[in-house]
Amino acid sequence: MLSQRLIALCWITLPLLAQEDGPAFFEKNVRPLLIAKCLGCHSATSQPIMGGLRLDTLEHTLKGGSRGTSVVPGNPSESLLLKVVMHTAGPLKMPPGPKMRDADAAVIAQWIAMGAPWGTNPVVSSNTPQKKYWSLLPPAEPTIPTVKNQAWIKSPIDSFVLSSLEAKGLQPARTADKRTLIRRTSYDITGLPPTLEEVQAFLNDNSTNAYTKLVDRLLQSPRYGERWGRHWLDVARYADSNGLDENLVYKNAFRYRDYVIAAFNKDKPYNEFIQEQLAGDLLAPTEDLKKQFERWTATGFLSLGAKMLAEDDPMKMQMDIVDEQVDTTARAFMGLTVGCARCHDHKFDPIPTADYYALAGIFKSSHTMDNFKVVAKWHEHVLAPKEDRDRLAAHEAKVEAKRKEISTLTGAENKILAEAAMKRVGAYLLASGELESYSKIRISPIETEAGATLIPAASFVSGNAPKLLERGKSNAPKDSKGPYFAEYEIDAPAKANYQIDILNEEKGFGTADIYVNGVWMKAGAGPVQNRAASPDAPGWSYVAIVPLEAGKNKIRLEHASRFPYFEKLLVAKHTLPQTPLTIVQVATKYQINPGFLEQFMDYFDRSQSAISSVLYAWEAHESKSLIAAWSSPVAELFKSSPGQTKEAIAARYEQLFQESLANGKDSKDPGLKALYDFLQEKFGPFRAPDDSKRYYLTAAREKLTLLETERKALEAATPDFPKAMGVQEGEKAEDLAIHIRGSHWTLGEKSPRGFLRVIETGNRIPIEANQSGRLQLAQWLTQKDHPLTSRVMVNRIWRGHFGRGIVATVDNFGRLGDKPSNPALLDWLALRFVEQGWSMKAMHRMILLSNTYQMSSDLNPRGEELDPENILLWRMPRRRLEAEAIRDAVMSSSGALEFTMGGSLLTYKDRQYVANTTKGSTVDYDRTIRSVYVPVLRSSMYEVFSAFDLPDPTMPNGDRDSTVVAPQALFMMNSSVILNHSRKLAEKLMADTSLDATGRVKTAYERALTRPATNQEIDQALTFVAKMQREWKGDELKAWQSFCKSLLASNEFIYMN
Amino acid sequence: MNRHWNSYLNQTLSRRELLRASSTGFGGLALTSMLAQEAAAASATDPLAVRQPHFPARAKRVIFLFMHGGPSQVDTFDYKPLLKRDHGKPLPFARPKVVSSETFNLLQSPWAFKQYGQSGAWVSDLFPETAKCVDDMCFVKSMYGSNSRHGGALLELHTGSDTFIRPSMGSWVTYGLGTENASMPGYLTICPTQSHGGANNFGSAFLPAPYAGTAIGSVGIASKDARIPFISNKETPREIQRMEIDYSQALNRKQLETTGHDRALEGRIESFELAFRMQSEAPDLQDLSKESEATQKLYGLDNPITEDFGRQCLMARRFSEKGVRFVQVSHTYKWDQHENLKKDHSQNAAEVDKPIAGLLKDLKARGLLKDTLVLWAGEFGRTPTAQGSDGRDHNPEAFTIWMAGGGVKPGLSYGATDDYGYYSVENKVHFHDLHATILHLLGMDHLKLTYRYAGRDFRLTDVHGNVVKDILA
Repeated sequence: MLSQRLIALCWITLPLLAQEDGPAFFEKNVRPLLIAKCLGCHSATSQPIMGGLRLDTLEHTLKGGSRGTSVVPGNPSESLLLKVVMHTAGPLKMPPGPKMRDADAAVIAQWIAMGAPWGTNPVVSSNTPQKKYWSLLPPAEPTIPTVKNQAWIKSPIDSFVLSSLEAKGLQPARTADKRTLIRRTSYDITGLPPTLEEVQAFLNDNSTNAYTKLVDRLLQSPRYGERWGRHWLDVARYADSNGLDENLVYKNAFRYRDYVIAAFNKDKPYNEFIQEQLAGDLLAPTEDLKKQFERWTATGFLSLGAKMLAEDDPMKMQMDIVDEQVDTTARAFMGLTVGCARCHDHKFDPIPTADYYALAGIFKSSHTMDNFKVVAKWHEHVLAPKEDRDRLAAHEAKVEAKRKEISTLTGAENKILAEAAMKRVGAYLLASGELESYSKIRISPIETEAGATLIPAASFVSGNAPKLLERGKSNAPKDSKGPYFAEYEIDAPAKANYQIDILNEEKGFGTADIYVNGVWMKAGAGPVQNRAASPDAPGWSYVAIVPLEAGKNKIRLEHASRFPYFEKLLVAKHTLPQTPLTIVQVATKYQINPGFLEQFMDYFDRSQSAISSVLYAWEAHESKSLIAAWSSPVAELFKSSPGQTKEAIAARYEQLFQESLANGKDSKDPGLKALYDFLQEKFGPFRAPDDSKRYYLTAAREKLTLLETERKALEAATPDFPKAMGVQEGEKAEDLAIHIRGSHWTLGEKSPRGFLRVIETGNRIPIEANQSGRLQLAQWLTQKDHPLTSRVMVNRIWRGHFGRGIVATVDNFGRLGDKPSNPALLDWLALRFVEQGWSMKAMHRMILLSNTYQMSSDLNPRGEELDPENILLWRMPRRRLEAEAIRDAVMSSSGALEFTMGGSLLTYKDRQYVANTTKGSTVDYDRTIRSVYVPVLRSSMYEVFSAFDLPDPTMPNGDRDSTVVAPQALFMMNSSVILNHSRKLAEKLMADTSLDATGRVKTAYERALTRPATNQEIDQALTFVAKMQREWKGDELKAWQSFCKSLLASNEFIYMN
Repeated sequence: MNRHWNSYLNQTLSRRELLRASSTGFGGLALTSMLAQEAAAASATDPLAVRQPHFPARAKRVIFLFMHGGPSQVDTFDYKPLLKRDHGKPLPFARPKVVSSETFNLLQSPWAFKQYGQSGAWVSDLFPETAKCVDDMCFVKSMYGSNSRHGGALLELHTGSDTFIRPSMGSWVTYGLGTENASMPGYLTICPTQSHGGANNFGSAFLPAPYAGTAIGSVGIASKDARIPFISNKETPREIQRMEIDYSQALNRKQLETTGHDRALEGRIESFELAFRMQSEAPDLQDLSKESEATQKLYGLDNPITEDFGRQCLMARRFSEKGVRFVQVSHTYKWDQHENLKKDHSQNAAEVDKPIAGLLKDLKARGLLKDTLVLWAGEFGRTPTAQGSDGRDHNPEAFTIWMAGGGVKPGLSYGATDDYGYYSVENKVHFHDLHATILHLLGMDHLKLTYRYAGRDFRLTDVHGNVVKDILA
């Protein structure tokens, strides 16, 4: 493919170029190309040198980079450089952006074919050192611009904004009226509409600093943390369940959420906020336990991501989790897509793979997971004093020791059972032959027959099962222990065989054992693994044929841990000519173990007389197949003594198996070896039966019961302390090797733990050999001169207030992100942020008190024409409320919203599966608490949240969509939230006896839209309500509810000006 | 680039407004994604407007029959006579580096295989009805994935990634082509799974919300009771609801007089009209009593074993017929036979066999099969070696899927596994290749169907994928 294209290329270009000599050709054609296309990232002065490849000297060019030689002189088709520019080297395509012109590629091909002649000097890029992208340089103090309309300026922010407007010939919108301002500011800071009283107070306050007072009051409200904490949770991809594959509950994630809300309310400085989230466990020790717990909780940031918890390759799992941490940290705090450099140097930003693995090494050296099993276990900090934590660890060790003791005992006992059985293969064969003959007999349930006795489930004479059995339940009385049983008495007219049938037995969780007069007759079946695939068949089913004595008999149903539901038993005299016995009955007859016998039957069922089976001689005799076809080495052992009868064959097998037990393990005889292996097969007939315990000798069984009781008691006594997801230092700090193409199967050079080399801060922060480097990473990020940290955060805050960042791609400050619409403003804000001690509240205050923020959202044709997207801010954008604000506003309009803070609504246990739909889940989504406290279950998200653009909590997303789609309208029309709260609002209106119809309309408008209704609106509303009352057949409440629904559905309700 | 994109349906924009919209906002999204310039104007206002594919399409829509759990290839469509011969022997070659658990020796299939149709395709006794349609089907026997757990494998099948949450293939298809029914979502999934990635398997991830699959019911809900969320309420009669909406819309129009033109506000007015239409359209399409008795029987609605899946298939046909772009039906989560292979695979096949055959026959009879792509797939196959006494473990190294209609070669068996069906060995097809091929059949170049998010142009096939040209008709 490559060579064909090369020929085509060379054919075009060769005649033109052939005459020139080497160095001249290089100088004229190749050097300019390298300068234009390659040297920006591939020369001595590149920061960093991407892929370790330099193309500025011949020596370096021939040596190549991390992928080896780039040019093989004289051999274009073997030269990576050419393949890469021609896009035939797989995913590696250079230069970034559009493909190189064919003519240019031909120049390179020609040059390599000529033997890669070089000029006299190294090649130096014309614009070296390459200019760093704006966002990677520290913010510079901008000059505050002078503007024409000085009167409009309240804050330097206004100067920056107005200056760019004036440059375009635009004017800012008028200042919004007070009602609009208080509604906007209240929603913006607290996520809630102002109350009627608050509106009134603000309208009545004519002092010049009325608005300042409003802003200060709102910033002091605990509702602020609930609103802005939620903005941060979008960035922290917060969720209460894992969701990626196995959806396990993060029961303790809420502590991180509550930490974030409290941090915002306390105005925790942003640098401290970062340090706690990345390295709270490593900060200077504190005596204050509460503070210590808070810091541990903060590290939940690193642990909250969606993880593949069921991954058979533990190293892949670990590296995927590390990747998620690298990517989240870089996006959240720096707005960089560092994750791209996992497999290759970043295509657009100066982030080489080595830097990625420098960061990855930090997280690899941290402890996020307790194990990487399927299903893996994430780490949780125990929020208790040291002595309690030690006590807990000691206790857990005890539980583990007890488990070990149990498994040692069962292992030994199972071995005894198997060894006894292996010596009696002949009996097992004969017994299975007998069972096989019964399998051809079909016994149908009798259902009705004269003389049959029907026994209702509740009619037992003794037992500890509940009288009223329930389907789908364990039917195990509270605080009781198994086995559970029920004994029924039945009078038999004569000593004979009787058939027992059962009606509507529930099989899913396993069925009961049957005993008759104290003799075990039939083993219960085990639970069904996949209930969806094996639903219960209703009706009568046949159980067994059992011998009864004349007179009173006892039939006992027993189950070790639960009592299966059924309705009735039927007992009737057995009249058919044949009497098929159960496995238990046959095993009793041959004095062998029913468990192994059943596994023998399984074996034959699978084998279907396969010619490769070691038991083929037996199977062939039974199935009359030809023994000549036998392909197992055991065949040799049967040649000398071909068994004629099945008894003879069984005896021969027994003898051979015993021989193999004695010396088959290391035998040279492949037949004996095969027989020995058969006995040891992991899934063969002699594996421990599921219910092997029942076959232990009494002493062992009692010992086991005792141990189990002790284990359970120990487990139950495990001290229960609050826990929080989070990370700590790993067992070992280590540098990671570069994973070539992102795969841990192909490793390159080691990359020492560290940060992004392209970002230089004043202080060098070394990582000690025994430290993960998390603390240093946090310190590096919070250096005052870090170019990204402050910019990214002030931009997030700006985005929160204006619906659009100064850099619109708030999570991407790299080359593929947007450029700032007002760079000077961004830098000015970033510098003030750091100067004011990284205070977020100070930043809000500064922005809110500007004239820019207080503009109206009035339309202006000139603005529409020149800046249709309102990027320069000639007006306040009109914004749709977010999911949480909508739900909270609906609930507050009806007066139902409560303001309890913190805690968890989840009734699940930690790490329990949430596989249900929101309908089937136990979460009370209609609870009238603020939406920020409603659980966010990944991949089973509350429908209201997903309908209104709550971002998928997978990766940081500081820029929520604001879509308008039909499912949102369906929510407004049909959801229980709207129906309930519109009714509550209507009830409230009607309950207030001081209100006449007009008064109700006025109140409804004020509650829902925070403004008085106009006279025209009142008239229309009264007409509408009257009409609806007729439609609802006189039901006044319904009529007012219809009116309230319409108000809540209106655009005005969910948009803020 | 998808911020401020907020208008769902607004067909009354002037040309000037369209041009403006396409140079900014949502238009920006369209431009970065589809090369077709002319598509940008239309999609500027309606994310689900019909968009032209890159080249003429062979299939216009997709019905995806998802067999959750991992049907066993060697017990269904991949006939391996040597498995019978060597039953009980150890696997004569190495197992994969990563396995989900220990399995034992080779386990022959409990079912007999026969050849069917002109094409002579092998089908086991599990699928006697589907077997009659083999001449319309195209088997790919050399599928492979890279994740041996349900969660990872489901996500790979549905989204192409087992590492990150990515848009599902249905979302990509709807994003690329829009939908032909303005009263319905473009991508529906009937009774989907809630486990193993759950909604991520039909989610739109970073693609805008309208491209997410709309779930009708979910696992555990009988398909006859499955509904779109919030599609109705029991309290409010339809006529009264209309009056409530009319009143609300009057308030909205009044507000527009003071605000002036505002795309979001106008779009929201339209969204209520669409929702109201959807409210009657969706239940109507789900009402299977409108189908003849013969059709109902064809899908097995008269038999309690096949009724539930039969309803899903028949609904899928009705949705497809009315222009829904991508419909998924799920048989969840039943095919995971680590044990009870014999009994449970029999039961599973019995539930889906007749409905699947019914769907294929019905589509063909209505002339829909030629431009409807039917895909049958599980998330992986199973080991030819035994797990426990009567089961098989997960096996992403080899499995069989099949397609029918929509531009695939009928009666073809493509690719092959080794003698025992453990590994794909000939003409191997990865999920990425399957995705590339599906997009190709729909007229889209998987390299060009991109979406810029967080600084990167994403594709369904990431940096992989080759169209399997040999199976194109």
